[in-house]
Amino acid sequence: MKKLLVMVAALSIFAASYASANQMNTGCGVGTLIFQDTKDQSTLVQVVAMTTNGTFMNTFGVTTGTSECKQPSKVVSNERLNEFVQANLDELARDISAGKGETLSTVAELMGVPAGDREAFNGKLQANFHQIFPTPGVEYAHVVDTIVSVSNQG
Amino acid sequence: MRRRGARPFFLLPLLFLFLLPSSARSDTDDYLAELKKTAEQRRLQDDRYWDILLFYKPAAGGRKSLIDDPKFFLAPGGKRDPGAELSATLDAMFDNSFLPPARCRFPARYEWLRETLRIDPARFPAPECPELDNTLRAINPKSASLIFASGHMNAPASMFGHTFLRLDGDYESPLLSYAVNYAATINRKDSGIAYALKGIFGYYPGHYSILPYYAKVREYAAMDQRDLWEYRTNLTKTEVRRMTLHILELQGIYADYYFLDENCSYDLLFLLEAARPSVTLTDRHKGFFVAPIDTLRSTLAEGLIDNVVFRPSAARTIRHNAAEAGATEVALAKSLASGDVAPSTVVEGSLPPQGKARVLDLASDFTNYLFLKREIPKDAYQGRYLGILAARSTVAGPPPESRPLPVPAPPESGHLVSRASLAGGARDGHSFLEIAYRPAYHSLEDPVEGFNDGSQIVFAEAAVRWYPGDEKIRLQRLDLIDIVSLAPRDAFFRPVSWKVQTGFATREFPDDVEALVYALNPGGGFAWKVSPFWIAFLLAETDLAISGRYDRSFALGMGGSAGIARQVSDTWGLLGQARYIYGVLGDREQGRRFTASVKVPVRLSRNRSLVLDGEHAEGPSVHAGTIRLTWNAHF
Repeated sequence: MKKLLVMVAALSIFAASYASANQMNTGCGVGTLIFQDTKDQSTLVQVVAMTTNGTFMNTFGVTTGTSECKQPSKVVSNERLNEFVQANLDELARDISAGKGETLSTVAELMGVPAGDREAFNGKLQANFHQIFPTPGVEYAHVVDTIVSVSNQG
Repeated sequence: MRRRGARPFFLLPLLFLFLLPSSARSDTDDYLAELKKTAEQRRLQDDRYWDILLFYKPAAGGRKSLIDDPKFFLAPGGKRDPGAELSATLDAMFDNSFLPPARCRFPARYEWLRETLRIDPARFPAPECPELDNTLRAINPKSASLIFASGHMNAPASMFGHTFLRLDGDYESPLLSYAVNYAATINRKDSGIAYALKGIFGYYPGHYSILPYYAKVREYAAMDQRDLWEYRTNLTKTEVRRMTLHILELQGIYADYYFLDENCSYDLLFLLEAARPSVTLTDRHKGFFVAPIDTLRSTLAEGLIDNVVFRPSAARTIRHNAAEAGATEVALAKSLASGDVAPSTVVEGSLPPQGKARVLDLASDFTNYLFLKREIPKDAYQGRYLGILAARSTVAGPPPESRPLPVPAPPESGHLVSRASLAGGARDGHSFLEIAYRPAYHSLEDPVEGFNDGSQIVFAEAAVRWYPGDEKIRLQRLDLIDIVSLAPRDAFFRPVSWKVQTGFATREFPDDVEALVYALNPGGGFAWKVSPFWIAFLLAETDLAISGRYDRSFALGMGGSAGIARQVSDTWGLLGQARYIYGVLGDREQGRRFTASVKVPVRLSRNRSLVLDGEHAEGPSVHAGTIRLTWNAHF
């Protein structure tokens, strides 16, 4: 019976298996890091890398480097903010355009914006969307820098 | 200031260590021998926590670890010898030649031994672990959640769902938490068959990984259209820290991954036991198949869960917002996403501000979805997406008010997955009794609460029928696999519906003979939601039947089916379909067959239901009606 069930399972998973195409995204701007941490490239490739290169700490994705694109100038000390903005650029652009959303409130939290000032913060960013995201290929460093300067304006 | 003043006194013992290396060395050796003796006397190798940390489970001739990676064991035979492993672990902790120090490589083992044996820091100065400390600081684990990803209806491998853990720190936003996932490391070059067989027989290594939670949210909720259920556990900070140390010692360690039992869900239970050893989780699952939903249920049963938060998939959100927007706005949003209409048209148009916001939000979400599905290239996406968002940012003011997205019934509210059935009925005037059993999982006539509407996955269902009139008992059917996925098409999403059924079925032959044939019946087509509750479907089908009774031993037919499915209320529903197959190869005459059927499922309780069904079959050797009442019990 067990063998039979195993065969059945084999068939079902066969019917189910998908081969997913994989493409590397390079460069900066929106749409760049969307596929970075998906199962194709992290739980598979990253884990394979982990077993082959023998190091462990940095292959667990606890901190992701932000070295590929230009670094922000004003908040270099806030590595967590830089990393988050770079990895969530598309979601952040959407939230800023609408003046609300989880990604935007995460950025506000990382910048230490007090709860009472969040609505004003969201409004300022929404009003300055064009400056924060001037071109499709915008670098996250520009996004971080502009968010900081816009939010500091009166 | 007081603390700073006291520091030199703490350094004094260290100073002596440096001054007297040889005597310190032998003192350490003595201390190690003493600790090993204590461990032996207290039979620590048989302690439950040691079993949890090393994944030991009873096996022939003692205990055996489920971990297969030799790097995980410090003793040569550590996989099968808990005592030798414990002794080797103590040796390694005291051996300064280890790099990285064993204490840093296996921090959970070290912490447990330190606490249990009350290792004296004065007699054994533990080495520093800067890398471990950095990782712990980055994760900053304070509490933990168990995340259940619901199945994606059109991908049966995912239908059972998936579970992973989330380590939560001080941040308010869960996006800044870390997800701990256990998954098979698959060779992407493997074909479907190799994938299935390797997966079932444990030829893929399983690994733990840690990723930012936002990456998992994107993977499941945005790319795979799967809802996430976030179960917040009541594990304390100490318990979560203990679990995190254990997770960190599992880095780069593999265990053979078995899709059916030693899978993503089962192995996470060891981590929860490492956090709180007083709960029994891994020993609750002894069957050949451990479904993610079962592990979620045992976690709930052990009282580990405080509350649950629902995170809808991007597709669910788009569908909900589309329903709020209405047909005209949806059409406009689609034209924006396809690039046929410029965003300025909407901004300058006559819609009220809320309508503009709704259209542009829908359009940007859908554009992003198309990009994630790789239906539009990056170049086109970047400009279009930012164009829509730029237009959206000019519609200031409060976001549009809409009805909140309805939260579906949580997965644990669904019926249990094994099912036994008792039925009585009559076929062509002959009454019969029938019993049936299947180990898993869900069929269209079962109570839908907690499952995806329109999807069925049945595994190895056998039905035995007895006709008292001829005193014969026969195997009526054995469905090895019976999957149906009715995925309704709408303005935004155009999924394909499909089915595949294979197994042994009773078919009729000339001279009133009935016999078991092997049948394979795949089909594909479309389904639509004709009203909020009605699903209509149309499938093209192929039917292959193999039996020595057929002319040339097989009958291959083609045709199709059409039907409707409706959940009329919480308690009852309606399924109706007509199916016609025309013989095209082999025994073309016997391959021809028409059936029409109606089923009325009635839910009695979560795990009990009644189904009344009627079927009429028409073919060269059959002209018969069947009526049947079935009682189903899920357990």
